Amino acid sequence: MRARYPDSDGVVVRDGVEIRYERYGQGQPAIFLLPTWSLVHSRHWKMQVPYLARHFTVLCFDGRGSGGSGRPGDASAYNDAAFAADALAVMDAAGIGSAVLVSVSCGSFWALRLCAEHPERVLGSVFIAPTAPLVPPLAERRAQRFGEVIDDPVGWQTYNAHYWKTHYPEFVEFFVARIFTEPHSTKQIEDATSWALEIDGETLVAAHCGLECCDAAATRRLAARLACPVLVMHGTQDAVRGYAEGEALADCTGGALVTLAGAGHFPHARDPVKVNLLIKQFADRARR
Amino acid sequence: MRARTPDREGVVQRGGVRVAYEVFGHGQPALLLIPASPITHARSWKGIVPSLARRFTVVTTDGRGTGRSDRPRAPECYAPAEVTADLLAVLDAAGIDVAVLVAHCHAVPWALCLAADHPERVAGLLAIDPAVGVAPPAPHTVESERRWAERVDAPSGWAMRNRHFWRQDGGYREWIEFFFGQQLPEPHSTKQYEDAVGWALDTDAEAMIAEREGRAAPAGSEAEALCRRVRCPVRVLHGSDDRCQPVARGRRVAELTGGDLVVLEGAGHLPHGRDPVKVTRLITGFVDGITGASMHTTTWTRGPCRPRRALYLSSPIGLGHARRDVAVAKELKRLRPELDIDWLAQHPVTAVLDAEGEHVHPASQWLASESAHVASEAAGHDLHCFQALRRMDEILVANFMVFQEVVEEGLYDLVIGDEAWDVDYYWHENPELKRGQNVWLTDFVGYLPMPDGGDREAFLTTDYNAEMIEHIDRYPWIRDRAIFVGNDEDIVPDTFGGNLPAIRDWTTRHFAYSGYITGFTPPGPDELPPLRSQLGYHDDELVCVVAVGGSGVGRALLEKVVAAYPLAKKAVPELRMIVVTGPRIDPAVFPERAGLELRGYVHRLYQHLCVCDLAIVQGGLTTTMELTAAKRPFLYFPLGHHFEQNFHVRHRLDRYGAGHCMDYATTDPDLIAARITEMAGKPVSYRDVETDGAARAAQLISELI
Repeated sequence: MRARYPDSDGVVVRDGVEIRYERYGQGQPAIFLLPTWSLVHSRHWKMQVPYLARHFTVLCFDGRGSGGSGRPGDASAYNDAAFAADALAVMDAAGIGSAVLVSVSCGSFWALRLCAEHPERVLGSVFIAPTAPLVPPLAERRAQRFGEVIDDPVGWQTYNAHYWKTHYPEFVEFFVARIFTEPHSTKQIEDATSWALEIDGETLVAAHCGLECCDAAATRRLAARLACPVLVMHGTQDAVRGYAEGEALADCTGGALVTLAGAGHFPHARDPVKVNLLIKQFADRARR
Repeated sequence: MRARTPDREGVVQRGGVRVAYEVFGHGQPALLLIPASPITHARSWKGIVPSLARRFTVVTTDGRGTGRSDRPRAPECYAPAEVTADLLAVLDAAGIDVAVLVAHCHAVPWALCLAADHPERVAGLLAIDPAVGVAPPAPHTVESERRWAERVDAPSGWAMRNRHFWRQDGGYREWIEFFFGQQLPEPHSTKQYEDAVGWALDTDAEAMIAEREGRAAPAGSEAEALCRRVRCPVRVLHGSDDRCQPVARGRRVAELTGGDLVVLEGAGHLPHGRDPVKVTRLITGFVDGITGASMHTTTWTRGPCRPRRALYLSSPIGLGHARRDVAVAKELKRLRPELDIDWLAQHPVTAVLDAEGEHVHPASQWLASESAHVASEAAGHDLHCFQALRRMDEILVANFMVFQEVVEEGLYDLVIGDEAWDVDYYWHENPELKRGQNVWLTDFVGYLPMPDGGDREAFLTTDYNAEMIEHIDRYPWIRDRAIFVGNDEDIVPDTFGGNLPAIRDWTTRHFAYSGYITGFTPPGPDELPPLRSQLGYHDDELVCVVAVGGSGVGRALLEKVVAAYPLAKKAVPELRMIVVTGPRIDPAVFPERAGLELRGYVHRLYQHLCVCDLAIVQGGLTTTMELTAAKRPFLYFPLGHHFEQNFHVRHRLDRYGAGHCMDYATTDPDLIAARITEMAGKPVSYRDVETDGAARAAQLISELI
């Protein structure tokens, strides 16, 4: 059973892709919990929604390629512009004029686009463990060769298109363990694994390839246009996107940085109380 | 002594009337604190200014009619337009373009006028117990309001609010004493009451009458319209037990201005005096909301990942705490090597901590000086330490606010407060602010009145004791462990006063006993002779060490002892007297005599005390117990009116059979010389002082983590 069910939900269709969204609560301002990589769907916000919905209007949706939304097969359907356009369509359908954005990991790409290109719709933006390719990736990820055929890949070598098509569950097991580096995270690992297994390796390949356009230059260009308040939170033990990425994003957006010492890549799942309080504090200030 | 003195002060002059102001701090934004003058003035903000000034620029003013401002006699001088013009002039003089206004009672209408008429100067308005006529006045005030100008025979209560009565001999004072009794319905408000009455008596009946008759505050629809014209953010604080202004007025002001209302349940009309911690936090939160103070860059460490940390507070009053606390900390680290200890401490404690390589928290620099305050309270051989502690109220709250910020940011597991009066008092008054486990250490329990203080002082000490007992009774979870530095028999046989319990029984129920903590091990019989010769003392002389601690308080005693020296020297030719004057007393003020040595500072004084043949000291616990532990003969002179030295320390020394208590006032040089002759070099038979006190205290503390 869920702690809280949506007050309303719906589906918007864009370019033939169905996007399923949910809306909770009444308060001001609206908080828009954005999707992240298609590996998981909007239930990854389950520790935020009930609390935030008591204070704010909360909007979330399953990103294309996940959950109840459509799963286009073509990589071009997964670029950051498509996610950003989905987000605007969801806001329109739910009747939300402007909102505080909250994103995790590569959700930072669509958040940056919305902030830069639709500033009138954005009151502020919270980036949790953002993907911000302004600094080199983590050393352990240098082994990654996405397009190559690798015999018996190990570790980050399993971050590989060919491997996902044949050994998707093994990759999920590896990757989710990298998300949760904190001890005693079994429940969070089980949750993320089960959500990830709702899709298949082919879909994740397409979703990955769609984001290859999001490089350092594009990130920097969008970040430079940000005018809204920004809060970045990033764990020092993040083994997926290094802490330095969050630092760099806070630096180039002029945002506040909350360092989560000891936290991994999904602090909103592993340290929900602290993250909830930080989001509320930020949203309370954005209201004015 | 004030907790913080202004960085700038000045006077504005309008139409020949001078109005004084003070400016504290440099931060943004600026706050203008507007008192309900002339019945009160800028000092009424003393509990909140020091902590606000650490973040913001704070401007206070004595309104016309009181304080350091002029006291015009014509009612028209107190028209709202005049007062608001004063306030704008103060802002101009202080170089402040825009300010957040904080106004109390009948100053709120002035603040509303400023906000409505000069919106470009006002970023927000925080109104405390607003006297704004948007709801009916308190029923008990209506009759006196109506008969203000009538002649009333022998009025009492609210009817004393009468222009003729105020002009009668003593009438104004009688009214003020009644009025502030009504405004502080909270129990244990004696200090706030004394302050408020004192400020009201800074002005006089004529200025008060002129202000009252010139006030012309808007009422009814006019007042409503004024509130509606305010566009800036508004917050109203209102005491539920305010007998001056009904809460309905505060509620209505909040509604009409679109502001928020915080009802302070159980509070009277002076919450900024009686609940300064809560009021400061409400002001700070309001200002942060207005400025939208962006969230700042910070680190939060996951709970399981945090090192174990303790914050140790060591009282700077008296010299004894620092060394015993260092000893406890060392034992604690022996038991719990993983524990990090930060110290929030001030001079002279920091000197000891620095020498020991302990880590002093940088926020310590913000602490207002308690030892300077105590020194300022002393005169001759006299220190009324109970009243000195009462008058230290604004320093305690200022330092508590520093502590609270440190403890909220520092993620401490444990707070150890050795007579950290501020933490103990304000955590009991604001229990929701407690963080971590809390250890309270003290070496005395119970305020005792000095006999010459009469009924009033006995009433006050009983009231303070009652408040402490009620604190512990109501919130037993604030002190997780209370440690008495000593043994049950060290506790005086008195009661807390009135119907309150016996001190020893109550203490035994609420404290654990650690035994005394000297902070050092006295030299054994074999170590004494070499130490004595190492310090330059010879076997054929009788060494008398005279020491008075580090403050300037001891000069009177030194003078008496130096005067006794020739007589004593005549009777005891082998006498050698070492007089330690300390850093604040110039040795040159004393006459030179053969065999009399004056020293400004003596390194490791306790070693000299350990080997001397006689010591002459004040009645402080640390020094006398060092002499007791070292089994030296000594004369001690408790400071006049110092209840701790006169009762608590004396009782403890009597239990150890140690020392000879002398009354400074009735002792002349002849008597001192006679005692020196009698006691120097004579063996003593004191009870042993335990040497495991620090370890026992550390054990009691370590059980909490």
